[in-house]
Amino acid sequence: MEFKTRDYDAEEASHSLPRLQTDFHPLVVQSPLEQVDIPLPKKVDLYDPLRASDADFAVSVAEGKDVEYVSIRGSSNETVLQLSAKEWASFKRSLMQKFSVAKTISISSMSDVIVKSGKEHEKPPTRIHLEELDDPQKDAEAGVKIITRQEYVSRLHELKDEICRAWQAEDRVTALKLSIKVARLLMDTSVLQFYPTVFVLVTDVLDMLGDMVWERIKRRAEYADDGTMICSLPDDFKASDVSFDAKETCNNWFCKIGSIRELLPRIYLELAIFCCWRFLHDRPWENLKRLVMMMRGLADPLASAYCHLYLARCSQKLPPHDIGYLITCINAVKVRIILGRESMNGNSSEDRKMSVSLFEPAIGWIIKCLLKDTDQMRLGDVLVKLGLRANETNSSVESPCISIVLHHLLKELPSEVVSSNALEFMQLIECSKDYSFDQYLNYMLLGLKLCERIPLMEAVDAILVKIFQVVAQYDGLNEYLKVVDAYLDIILHYKVGDYLTIILDGISDRACNKGVAESELDSLQSIFIKLLSHFDNLNDVLALNHFVEILDVMYGSSRNIVNMHILNKATRSGYIRDPTTMQLLFQVSQALHDGIYFSSIKDDDSQQPLHLISRFVQMVDFGAEMEHHLTFLVECRGAFGSTNELKETLVHSSNYLAVKAMKDAKKHDSFLKSCIAFSEVTIPSISVTIRQMNLYLEAAEVALLGGLVSHTDGLIDSAISCLQSLEVTNGSRTPVDLDGIISSVRKLCSLLIMIPGNPECGATYIPRNVLSIISSQSWITRRLKIRTFCAVISLSTTLSQHKLPYHANSREIVGNDLLFFYEPSYYQELLSFSSSVVQNLLDEVKQEPNQAARGSLALEACNCIISSFKANQEIVPICSKLIEIANSCLHTNNRYLHSTVNYLEKYFITSTTEVPAVTT
Amino acid sequence: MSIELKLSRSNRIYRPSEPLEGKIITKFPSSIYHQGIRLTANGTVNMQVRGGTAGVIESLYGAVKPVSIMNRSVEVRSSGKLGSGTNEIPFSMTLRQQGHDNSEPFYETFHGANISIQYLITVDINRGYLHKSLSATMEFIIESEKGNLHKAPLSPEMVVFYITQDTQKHPLLPELRSGGFRISGKISTQCSLLDPIDGELTVEASAVPIRSIDIHLLRVESVLVGEKIVNETSIIQTTQIADGDVCRNMTLPIYVVLPRLLTCPTVFAGPFSIEFQVSIVINFRSDLSKLHPKSDPRTPRLWLALETVPLRLVRTKRDSL
Repeated sequence: MEFKTRDYDAEEASHSLPRLQTDFHPLVVQSPLEQVDIPLPKKVDLYDPLRASDADFAVSVAEGKDVEYVSIRGSSNETVLQLSAKEWASFKRSLMQKFSVAKTISISSMSDVIVKSGKEHEKPPTRIHLEELDDPQKDAEAGVKIITRQEYVSRLHELKDEICRAWQAEDRVTALKLSIKVARLLMDTSVLQFYPTVFVLVTDVLDMLGDMVWERIKRRAEYADDGTMICSLPDDFKASDVSFDAKETCNNWFCKIGSIRELLPRIYLELAIFCCWRFLHDRPWENLKRLVMMMRGLADPLASAYCHLYLARCSQKLPPHDIGYLITCINAVKVRIILGRESMNGNSSEDRKMSVSLFEPAIGWIIKCLLKDTDQMRLGDVLVKLGLRANETNSSVESPCISIVLHHLLKELPSEVVSSNALEFMQLIECSKDYSFDQYLNYMLLGLKLCERIPLMEAVDAILVKIFQVVAQYDGLNEYLKVVDAYLDIILHYKVGDYLTIILDGISDRACNKGVAESELDSLQSIFIKLLSHFDNLNDVLALNHFVEILDVMYGSSRNIVNMHILNKATRSGYIRDPTTMQLLFQVSQALHDGIYFSSIKDDDSQQPLHLISRFVQMVDFGAEMEHHLTFLVECRGAFGSTNELKETLVHSSNYLAVKAMKDAKKHDSFLKSCIAFSEVTIPSISVTIRQMNLYLEAAEVALLGGLVSHTDGLIDSAISCLQSLEVTNGSRTPVDLDGIISSVRKLCSLLIMIPGNPECGATYIPRNVLSIISSQSWITRRLKIRTFCAVISLSTTLSQHKLPYHANSREIVGNDLLFFYEPSYYQELLSFSSSVVQNLLDEVKQEPNQAARGSLALEACNCIISSFKANQEIVPICSKLIEIANSCLHTNNRYLHSTVNYLEKYFITSTTEVPAVTT
Repeated sequence: MSIELKLSRSNRIYRPSEPLEGKIITKFPSSIYHQGIRLTANGTVNMQVRGGTAGVIESLYGAVKPVSIMNRSVEVRSSGKLGSGTNEIPFSMTLRQQGHDNSEPFYETFHGANISIQYLITVDINRGYLHKSLSATMEFIIESEKGNLHKAPLSPEMVVFYITQDTQKHPLLPELRSGGFRISGKISTQCSLLDPIDGELTVEASAVPIRSIDIHLLRVESVLVGEKIVNETSIIQTTQIADGDVCRNMTLPIYVVLPRLLTCPTVFAGPFSIEFQVSIVINFRSDLSKLHPKSDPRTPRLWLALETVPLRLVRTKRDSL
């Protein structure tokens, strides 16, 4: 066997692509500002499905409303109905979830429909009579029955089924009677927290009845008695299109419902079949005004509020119409709240809060309905009528503003309306300070709305002056934070005055003495993140008064999140050189690290902070004071020692530091040694062996660069011993791991080219070592072995060249080509070593059990051999054998096989040996 | 074997001048011979005296001789044979006889407690002496003639009422007397049968919380028995317009849909009369009321305040239907 002679320079010249000089690095960022302002190409041909739909939604809220309005007016009534039905369904769901209920409910005797006879323990009549005489109060209590929530719900479902069955059996009277009984359940408001659920369940039943009645009358209008079709009613039919019989039936329904004795069920039933007014009148909504008036007779505020809610819902099913009556609804509910305030003086504020919270969904929904169909032009009118805007004719005293109404109004109004009337709303909020809703939440909502559409500068000034007068009065940190947080975007947008100082002073006054409650952390976090994302430079943020001080009172996950933002900000704006900043960031990182360490967060969650800390460590720059830098790394190791990822970063950093020191050309041998020592000490504590190995190799390379041969040898030894201890790490190894190992082995081999051989141990001492480890390890796959053999063969071939392809970048280290210049024993050693490896290689390929793998490995081995050895009698049979194996294992069209065979033919031409017949 | 009557209108409402149309449906397993099929339309006012202001002797009499409004009979088929299976025999019958003037009063159908005005149509298939004759009867409903109707729209006649502790003739709870209350409003006194009773009501003041405000629709049936007129007033319908202690000085609407069949135009005939009243009842919150949960709502109780006004019901043209 004989090694091929390689001329690396010529090979490089012939194989490399032509190169051009360039003035600019194509990827370099020229300045941070331009990065932001990179203009998009004018014509983007790319079709981005996400962006396209986004553009549709991005139209301003006002336009959105208009579109909706138009579509309601248009013929696509059906879709609008479906949309509102969907909205209603989700509203009902939220209503049921919002109010948690005790397991049992005491219901008054009037809900007899729920309590089946015999289910509860009735007292014997004589006793009742006696008690009656005794004390009338007792009788009232006896009427109360306890039932579980589940029973109540399932009983209502049963009733629904019963109604359905009765209807299908053409027994409509029973269906109606049962529905009335169900509607009567809503008269009992003593269930309080359960009332919304009852409302949802009952209206479900009523909606079903309404649909059935509608279908029946429609059928009567469209079909004759004997089932023949008379006509088909269009979606927007007129009352005149409806036949006499159908009208008669419809009228009968309203008569039946009109004869219900109690007011509340009568209203609910009429609302349930309200759509049917369309068969009788072309302007059915006019009846809604009467119903709203009739609801004045409902004295119970809760019953009244939900009744109005149902009206608002049912009116959505009608064709578009004037919705002035909704204003009356809101005003009616409002009056109830005002009266409630007077009459409930005796009650605790907790009770009042709770009763308001029960109304709240109703108010919210009605206002939503009201504003959805109101265009901008008429908004002013609506505000006047709601008593929110004073008018010459209508003094606002009559119906003063109620904060909860104001709240929902603010929530539903388009942000540009709020924005252009900001001061007015500010005044309204100021005026409405009542028990129904916390004032500061309204201020907060206003702020959030304004942030969606920031008003003009002049208005902002006045608003901020006002709001800061307000918040200055707040003693509690929570209120202060919530309101300030809401306005922060505006303040930052205009960069006005020294409000930031005021805010931070305010927070520090309120927080630093009393500490921060957990509920307040969220707002604080939001404020800090806004500040951090506003400023370009971290130092500007840190320079703010009290910033660090306030940061210190934070804790828990909020603190971690803010810390992450700080690190993120710090590491994105270039190297960190300022010692104070560095110190702060170090503390921040430490806190973050400890946070991860102590709370057993999942690995995925801890990745982000770890990356940030690594990045911080990488971005630290001490300039020329490299000793300090190394000290810093030592400190970091102490602080973050428990995390593999960070230790890896530290090793990288110390290596980088060493290289930097060498580049500075000032020769600091001792410093270099310190860096290498740092790496050497740090690497063993990393728990993943393959990473250790890679780091050792990296450190070895650095040591080699610095001319520290003995260090290099030691590090290489450590790397190889890592290979040995790989087995112990764990049993199951994934293919990815193996690929990692093979690439590390190859890296080692390429490094060995530069490392001077040890004449005492022999030039092939290290490769032999590697091979013996590889062959001794039982877990190592054949594939890995074959590839290692190939790598070692390539290494030997390269070492045999008289001019090595590359050398260590150090004058003090002599390459093997010079060290063993034309030393025959050296070449002999390499050759004999290689030939034994080639033999092993062939054996291993033959033994590979997997057919496809065997084929491709044979080709790999063949290519390695061809490129390493001259063709001669020893080599050609081996190659032929390998090709034979590949041929038998692989598909005849395999391109790797083809190109190998082609190459082999060219290669053999140079030799005298006969080309083996290759059938493809 | 079945025989059935089916009228041309599903609501069975006819006017005296209109022909009563429909069909006789027979279902026989085998064909039968008959001696003629005869239709009879019959209208009567049935009266009885029971309760009310009737004395013991009148009560013993019970029924008062009924008043016949109409009785017409026509032969639809002369004697012959009816085939097996289903046969449909259409008919048309004039209710008001030709030549008679319109003075013959066709009272509207009404079913009350003491007075019942009912129209029936009967079909008889006479099958001779050997077989039982077959017959079926059905009620049809008479509404007043279009020509006689008031010209719509009816002029709204409203009465203004005040209910205070001083307008009440019966004893009241002491706290009602001392605290006082004032409820005002207006309500229609003449009303089309097709329209709801209209009006409004305002609670201006009330020291005692209100439990409920109800509108009772009452009918007053008077029957002449001998020399004496016997009255009976009964509640047809109760409609609640306020549930609970409603806001003061807020106008509540009064909107009462009139029940069909239980109402008819106000009638003053010789032997009987049918009139209507509306009663506004304010029910104040009181523990005493719980002791009498099932009492007649018309009885003046300590915790009730009421006001009753007459109501004239008239038949108007249907415009929208």
